Amino acid sequence: MENKTHEIDEHETVTPARRRELLDELRGCIEQAQDGDKEARSKVREVLKEALRLARTLIDLADTAERSVIKRISDDPLVQEEVLPSQLRAMREELAGPEPSPLEKLLAERIVACWLQLQYADTVYAQNLDKMNMVQSEYHQRRLDRLQRRYLSSIKMLAQIRKVGPAVQINIAEKQVNTAS
Amino acid sequence: MPWEKRERGGFYYTRTKKVNGKVVREYVGGGILGELAARLDALERNQQKEEAAAWKEEREQMEALEAPVEELCEAAETLAKAALVADGYHQHKRGEWRKRRGKQDS
Repeated sequence: MENKTHEIDEHETVTPARRRELLDELRGCIEQAQDGDKEARSKVREVLKEALRLARTLIDLADTAERSVIKRISDDPLVQEEVLPSQLRAMREELAGPEPSPLEKLLAERIVACWLQLQYADTVYAQNLDKMNMVQSEYHQRRLDRLQRRYLSSIKMLAQIRKVGPAVQINIAEKQVNTAS
Repeated sequence: MPWEKRERGGFYYTRTKKVNGKVVREYVGGGILGELAARLDALERNQQKEEAAAWKEEREQMEALEAPVEELCEAAETLAKAALVADGYHQHKRGEWRKRRGKQDS
């Protein structure tokens, strides 16, 4: 297997293209490792070393998504800049728990992003229900189903990581993958 | 063409629509009646076009709003799976994650 992993520079940012490349690489390795390929498992660990930079861009992505939805929810600057962001921050902290690993932080971030999106879609649907035709109503219902599934799946993954315990960490603070049982 | 030329001269306004999958032509009338019906139909068509454009724009906005969250979800899911796999777990039949039995490589 070709090793494409580069030296890690934690200050260097990951471009969206590099992010997609890394994730594709990881997905391929995960599939092979699931079939028992030990070399692929080592490769997964290697690619995970770039997790620090990757996680940073993902948090930025979540932040962008959050701000866009908040802008649509309210025009009030107080709600946009104070009320909703502080509620979401509290939710994130509660979900991530005390001393969360970077992976737990990321998964908590994902749950909050999914929750916000679902709440917004639900509100839009409820507010426009009487104005919608059949096609629009079906579209919104399908969208709500999709967002609901995504939200539940985000909770499930955080629960899964918690279940297996502290052994599974992407210890990006120390730029290493800690997989000790 | 909605305006049909009559053999006796003059024009007759018609509407074509589908009824139970069959194309049916409705004869509305000539003169002022036909003219009025034609204008009303044109107004209705414009309104439908505007509504369709507004709905398209709304859908695009919703999809644009969803795209970064979708990307975040896929990426976070991949990283979480990678962490599990790196620690020797495997997903049993796309469901539960189980620790792989036997000798583990470090």
